[in-house]
Order: sequence, then C-alpha cells, then structure tokens
Amino acid sequence: MTGRWQFRDFKAERALFIRRVALACAVVLAMLAVLVAKLVNLQVTRHEYYSARSDGNRLHVQYVPPKRGLILDRDGVPLAENLPVYNLTIVPEEVVDLDATLAALAGLVALSEDEISAFRDRLRRSRVPYTSMPLRYMLTEEEKSRVAVHGHRLPGVAIEPRLMRHYPFKELTAHAVGYVSHINQQELDALDEAEFENYGGTTHVGKTGVERTYESLLHGRVGHETVEKNNRGRLMRVLEHAEASSGSDLGLHLHHRLQIAAHQALGDYRGAVVAIEPETGGILAMVSKPAFDPNLFVTGISSRAYGELVNDAVNTPLFDRAINPYPPGSTVKPFLGLAGLHLGLIDYDFIIDDPGYFQLPGVSYRWNNYTMRTEIGGGHGKTDLAKAIYQSSDTFFYDLGHRMGIDAMHDFMAQFGFGGNLALDIAHARIGVLPSRQWKIEARGEPWYPGDTINSSIGQGYMWATPLQLAAATAVVANEGRMVRPRMLRSVDGRPHAFAKEFSISDVFIENPDYWRYVRDAMVMVGHRPYSDVFRDYGTAYEAIAGADRDMTYQIAGKTGTAQVVGISQSIRSSKDIQVSDLNKDHALFIAFAPANHPLVRPRIALAVFVENGEHGGSVAAPVAKQVIDAWLLEILQLDLRVEPDPQPLAPASEIAATRE
Amino acid sequence: MNSSDYIAVARRRLALGDSGLIRGFTIDLPLFLIVLSLCAISLVALHSASDGDSGVLRRQGIAVMIGALAMLAVAQLDLRLLRRSVSYAWLGGVALLGLVLMIGVEANGARSWLDLPGLPSFQPSELMKFIVPLALAKYLAFQPLPPRFVQLLGCAALVLIPAGLIVLQNDMGTAILIFMAGLFVLLLAGMSLRLVTAGGLLVLLASPLWYVFFALEHQKRRILSFIDPYTDPTGAGYNIIQSQIAIGSGGIQGKGHGAGDQSRLDFIPESSTDFIFAVIAEEFGLAGALALIALYLLLLARGLQIAIGASSVFGRLLAGGIVLTVFFNAYVNLAMVVGLMPVIGLPLPLVSRGGTAIIACCIGLGLLMSVRASANRPSRR
Repeated sequence: MTGRWQFRDFKAERALFIRRVALACAVVLAMLAVLVAKLVNLQVTRHEYYSARSDGNRLHVQYVPPKRGLILDRDGVPLAENLPVYNLTIVPEEVVDLDATLAALAGLVALSEDEISAFRDRLRRSRVPYTSMPLRYMLTEEEKSRVAVHGHRLPGVAIEPRLMRHYPFKELTAHAVGYVSHINQQELDALDEAEFENYGGTTHVGKTGVERTYESLLHGRVGHETVEKNNRGRLMRVLEHAEASSGSDLGLHLHHRLQIAAHQALGDYRGAVVAIEPETGGILAMVSKPAFDPNLFVTGISSRAYGELVNDAVNTPLFDRAINPYPPGSTVKPFLGLAGLHLGLIDYDFIIDDPGYFQLPGVSYRWNNYTMRTEIGGGHGKTDLAKAIYQSSDTFFYDLGHRMGIDAMHDFMAQFGFGGNLALDIAHARIGVLPSRQWKIEARGEPWYPGDTINSSIGQGYMWATPLQLAAATAVVANEGRMVRPRMLRSVDGRPHAFAKEFSISDVFIENPDYWRYVRDAMVMVGHRPYSDVFRDYGTAYEAIAGADRDMTYQIAGKTGTAQVVGISQSIRSSKDIQVSDLNKDHALFIAFAPANHPLVRPRIALAVFVENGEHGGSVAAPVAKQVIDAWLLEILQLDLRVEPDPQPLAPASEIAATRE
Repeated sequence: MNSSDYIAVARRRLALGDSGLIRGFTIDLPLFLIVLSLCAISLVALHSASDGDSGVLRRQGIAVMIGALAMLAVAQLDLRLLRRSVSYAWLGGVALLGLVLMIGVEANGARSWLDLPGLPSFQPSELMKFIVPLALAKYLAFQPLPPRFVQLLGCAALVLIPAGLIVLQNDMGTAILIFMAGLFVLLLAGMSLRLVTAGGLLVLLASPLWYVFFALEHQKRRILSFIDPYTDPTGAGYNIIQSQIAIGSGGIQGKGHGAGDQSRLDFIPESSTDFIFAVIAEEFGLAGALALIALYLLLLARGLQIAIGASSVFGRLLAGGIVLTVFFNAYVNLAMVVGLMPVIGLPLPLVSRGGTAIIACCIGLGLLMSVRASANRPSRR
C-alpha cells in the first residue's frame, strides 16, 4: 500500500486517461458504423432476397394424393378398396444411422424380419429420393402412441396416415383385378410432364390386371397444398389448399360369388375358369389357381416371400393361367364342325365309318383316335358330325380338317378370336397360336406339311389357345354368331361404360343359321346323351352333367377336351415334391354355355374350364363347369329354368332366336 | 484486514446520520434503467425464441431479478473494501477455473460449467470477465502511470493465467474476451500505443502460422465459413446463413413480435443464446436492431462518464475496463451474428439466455455504480 504515497502526477494521469477514452470512442464509432452499414445492407438493400429465402425455408408445396377409385363387382361389392391406416415411414436420406434407427424402432413396434428385409429390398431398388418409405403398415393405436412419444429422437421417422389399397378377396381376385405396388423409377420416367406432375404425391401404381389397365381412370387428379413447416420438417399450418379429385370407381362385370364358386369348383387342381356373359361379353369370373395374396405386393413383398412365389415351378402362383395358351384339344371340334357345314364340306347326313384311326392317302402313318389310346381300341363306327362332337371322334375331324386345308381352317377360326385378342380391356392376355402356312414360315422357317393340318384339326400340334379365347369363342356360338368382345369394365362411377371399339369386329357369318342350332344340339348331347346299348354313343360329359344331376332343370351345351402336355421343364422333372407322372398327365378342358335350347331364356353364361394335368375333360373339367354354371344360373341369378310339362311342343329354335333381338 | 473491520465498516454505513452523511441507499439511475431495458428486450426476444417454453422465461426472469439485486448490493459496497478483497477474488476465481478443469460439466462443446452440491450450476469464467479488470485496475493503480514494461509483465500474468485456463476449457470466445478486458485496462492506463500496434501486427503475422499448425478443425471450418458461408451451407455455414436470412427478412420494421418465421420455426440455431440478435432483428427489423445498439452505446457512454468522474485511479480504470469489456462483448456478438466476424461462442450481454452471464454482468455493472457512489462522496481517493 506504500505506492499510494509515491509522488504521482494525478492530473497528467487523468488527462492521459481521457485521451485514451476519446480514442476508444473514435474506434467504437468506426466499428459501429461498419455494423450499421452491414445491417442496412442486410435489412434494406437485400431485404427482398432474404425474404424470399425465408419463405423458401418455411413454405413447402406438397402434393395431396388423390383417393384411388374403388373396384367393385357387378353387385357393388368392393374387390379393391382403400383402408385408412397409419404407417411407420422412413425418409432414408434423413436418417443418420439406419441400423440404429431400425433397432430402436423394433423396440417400439412389432417388426418382423420379413418387414425389415422387405424394407431393405425396396431401399436397394430404384426410388424417388427424399420420399418417405413405409417400414410397417397398419400400426395399432398403442404402437402409434409409442412412436409418437419416442420418435422425435429418430430423425427421418414419421407416422403417416394413408389410404392403403386392400383386396378383401385376396387370392380370389389376384389375377383378374391385379394389384398396386410401389411406383418405381422406370415407371416415373415413362410418364410425360403432365402425368409426372399428377403422380407427385402417389406412392403406388397399378401393376397388373384391372389395376394396371385402368390406372388412368383409377388414379384421379392430384391436389396441392402450401404448408408451413418448421426446421425439423414438422407441419405447422396449411396456408393454401387445392383439393385432389378422386379416381373413378370402376364397376366390373365380375361377380364375387361366381369368382368364389369357380375357385372352389377347381378344388385342389391347378387351372383356370373364364366365364363370360354372352349378351354383353362381360367377364363374370376369371380365376387362375393357385394364386397369391395381392395385399403382399401393396405393402412391398419381401425377397424371400417373392422368391417363394417365383420359384414354385409346379404351382407358378404368379402365372395367370386364364390368359395363357394351352393346346385346346377337342374343344375346337364344334368350331371346325361349323366350318365344315359352312364351307359345304359336310352336311347333316355326312357319315364316316370310324375305324379308330386316320391315314393320309399314300402314307402308312396312322393318326390314332387320340381319346381312345388308352382304352380298348377300335373306333366309333358309323359317325356323323353330331356324334363326332358328342363322342369326340378324332377320325371324323382328321378327315374334315384334311379336306378343309389349313388356310380355310385358319380363316374360319380367326373369326372367333383364336390367334388374336378380342378382349377390349385385357391387353396383357396372350394370343396363343392359330397356325397357318404363313405363320409356320415366319415362326419356324418351315413349310406347312399335310400332317400339320391333321394335328391342328383336333386342336393339337401348333394350335394354342387361352381359356379366355375359348370362353369368348364359346360365347359367339351361344350367340349364334353375334360377336361380343370380352371386357372387364361395366361401369364408371355408376354409369354404364361404352367402349369405343365395341363394334370394330364383325359377327361370324354362317351360310345357314340352322347350322348353329345343329352344333348347339350336338354340344347339348355332350352332357346330356345317356349311355345306351349302342357301343360308344353317349356324351363324353354325360356322367359329369346330366348323369350326375338327374333333376337338372336346364341344359348345358358343352365340349370336352384333352390336351397333351408339351414339354416339362427339367426343373420339374428333377423336383422331388411331386410325382413327375402327375405332371405328364394331360390337361383337361371343357367349354360350355347354358342354358342351351331353352324356350324362354337365352344363354346367360359361356365359359371355358382348364384343369392342369386333369387328364380327362369329361370327368374332371366338366364337373367344374357344371358347378360354376349352377352357381350362376340357380344361386346368383336364381332363374327358374324349369320347363312346365306343357301340351304345346317346344318352340322351334328359329323362334327362340327371333325372341333374342 | 480481518472480518471485524468489515463488520465495523458495515455498521458505520448502516448507522443513519453518521457524521452528517446520509449513507443510505445508492443507485445510478441511468445505468440501472439501461440495464433493465436490455433485460426487458431479452425477455421479449426469449419469448419468441423459446417457442412459448415458460420455463426458459421464468428462469431468465429470476436471473434478471437476482442480477438486479446483486447489482444494487455491489453498488453499496465501499470501493476501498472492494479493492482490498480483489486479490482474494482473483485467487478464488483462478481456483474455481482449475476446479472446472477437474470436475467441470460440458455443455455445447465447452467444459465450463461447475455443478457444486447445494449451488445452482454456474460458469466461473463469466465471473472472471470482471475479476480480471478488477485485478489489473488494482495492480496498476499502485504505480505511477503510464505503466512501465516490468509492470506489463505482472499484468500479463494476471490476464494470461485465467485466460489460459479458459482456453483449456475449450471456450476460446471467453478467453479472448478476458484477454481483451485486460488489454482495455492497460490501454486506459496509458500503455504505449506503439507496443499495442506492434503486438497487433505480430498477431496478424502469426495468425497464418496458427491457422496452419495449431487451429483445431472446427475453428478452421468456422473461419472458412466466415469467408464464404456457402462452401458448407448445411454445416459450418448453416448458422450464419440462417441468421442472415432472419435479419435480412426482418427488413426495416420487422415481422412483429412472435411473427419471426425464422425463429418461430427453429431455423435460427442457438436462437435463445448466441444468435438472439437475429431474433430481435427479424421481429423488430432495423429499427429494433438500432434501438438495441443505441442502448449498448448509452451503456458505454454512461460507463465512460462514470470512469472519467471517478475519484480514484482504481475506480477510473475499473469502470472504464468493465464498460469497455461489456461493450466489446456485445459488439463481437453482433458482428458475429450479422456475419462480420467468424463465429466464436460469445453470448450477447444481458440479452442472451443464461443466468450466470446475466448475474455476472450485473455484478460488473454494480461495480460501476460503486465507483460512481464513491465519486459522489467528498475527498475519498
């Protein structure tokens, strides 16, 4: 404390202090000038720029995805509907550590290995960056609240309310209705600019079936809203809203109960049923069995589950048998018979003596009566066209086909839609093969041999047709030539739908309309001609139809078919699961329409049944057809088809035809 | 000096009518009003920045009240008493800083918090901002001024020991501020300007070396992003970009209280602490920003006025050093937030959220009041 008493010039010290304060003030003012200049620059000069930046931070235009249109059956029962669900979603770009995030979420919600692997699979596939990817669908209330409480510690994780596509009939409608699944980059790239805008908020797109065909009707128009979001992406308020407009609700010709009936009728067999309403061409049922649960694809199927579906070489559940071709076998005979009559190659009195085989002149090779090959041998004896149909004589048609020639056969059959796709809205249906000289040169590079014609005349060889084609051709026969093109769509938003291309294909013209009735009657005998003392004179499906149901109130016109299995893949041969001999068995086919030859009711259903390795059309495929027809006529339409024992004779066929107009 | 002296002095001051002097309550009203205005702005800005979190506001309000009481309490202290206890304060402060290094708690990257049982957690470095000018003022006041070179070495020890400890806490901003506080006192004491200029040049020349060999990664990033924030717009440059957007979008009049989109929607990082000026400039515009700057300028003016009017060398140096430190702290924060300086973690005095900082600042300004009070008493040097 002694320093205090030293001699000091306090006045000078104070003056020095004041000089320094003055200096400090000068420096401070200079510094403040810089600061204020900077503030003026930010807040006055560049104010508009920063205002825009600020709005850019907080304002987001987001898409409001439209509600996808429903798909209803002809009774208005939903086949594809939208369920309100809460999904757990992740924006992968915002996640810091995906593994840790998934592990944390597994503690909050039930997460199966499958769901995690499906999520990772989708992550690897092409996707739109910075979009949320669902991890778990349909959270329970409890899971929702757990994620809401703990989710804020997990960036990129959110709960999103969504409308999720749901197919209540599961595998029953998997092929016909199809399914939606995550839209991928290729699909987005294929969209033009306006469409791309319209898909801004859309996560799913129709991949197969009706969902794909009518994507543009089902999708609707996207809406927009301007929202304010905070820095963590939380939505604070909606500033502007432009409503989305929902997609159209589509009514199909399909009937859910007939679909169920066809599925059940096939039992444990693999196969397909296609049923068409002859008057409209509307597809009443289209079943391929076995199928799969389309709902798996909506949520994103895991690689493992998908692998199981793809690698099942025997059951091939993803494969739509209804629109894939097989050798039609003897089911082509009614059409060839009509061709023979129309072309004057045969008449009602034309008879061959069927020895059980056919030989070309000057050729020693015998074409055997295919259906007889395992039996006692021999032929059908004296055979006219009707018997050749109800007894399914190959020899008769070998002779007829040989005389007709492949060109005439091709041209006539083509009118019924063989070798083409008549369907108005099943673009992905395959067209099979209706062989011709030109086709063989182009496809095989070989000339047409006479023996090829012989094989074609019983629906073998190069001839391939889909169950859909067979059902459509049968509907034309039921209509006595009036062409109706098959279609799925019946109404849009409740209004009947008119197709632009409805009448672009002409009716099938036959020289004498009575030929239709002759062939129809022969087809009725397939199911209704009982056994008698006469050797081989019963209908090939009698046991399955009239023989099985003595009290039948109506008649079915049908035709059995048996088709050789062509080529089994090595993978199936080496499969241990199933006896290869079963897979070598013939495919069984049956085409039919009903009621046939009814005085008051015109045919209400035409169908084709295909049973893979079913062996016999008559004993395996025909009962399936009978069950489906019964379900439609008696259970669903509830028609009273009994014909009162009336003193008056049945109206002639021509009059029934007249009432149809 | 023993404790009975303190009691005697206190008793003397409390005794009314002692020697005809009214030794009652003393307050510097202009300073007090400026401090309260700044605290009021703090509460208004925090209301926006804390997104309606009443806990933040309540804690700040309590800190303001404690700070105001502490300021008035310090104002009543006799400056001579204060001067005698400076050495203990400095030693105690350094001891606390050492304790922080051993048992301190880390927050926001700096290990500067002390969480002692029975006390609310606090930052000893905040107190050191005012203990260092006190210590320097006392040390220099004994000697004839301007200080000689030997004295400068003593001053360097008083400044660099606490500053070094704070550097070790990884709190570069506060360390620089403490260094500057010391420098301000020395400058006011008349330290050779040539020496300061030379030192400044030396620092300038050495800084590239520091950058290449000693700068930590986050310091380099901060400097790079100061030169151009858009080299790393989502990382180191993010704070300054968002802060400039907030300030710029505020315009002249501002968006209105509670309507600052950048702060309301959490786009301003550290909006309640280091970047609170961005909130004020967004919501109240250039007008509000200038008003705030004017308050600090008033604070500086009043502080310097008190310093010039001080009756002792100690009081003069102390008042000038403290008020320059507070103002410099404010300026650095503002310059950082508008993008004139690299980001260093210094809060805005009296406005940013933080109890210790507010209370420490109030105590510092309480010292100013005490200086003013002693000047008003006759012939006490």
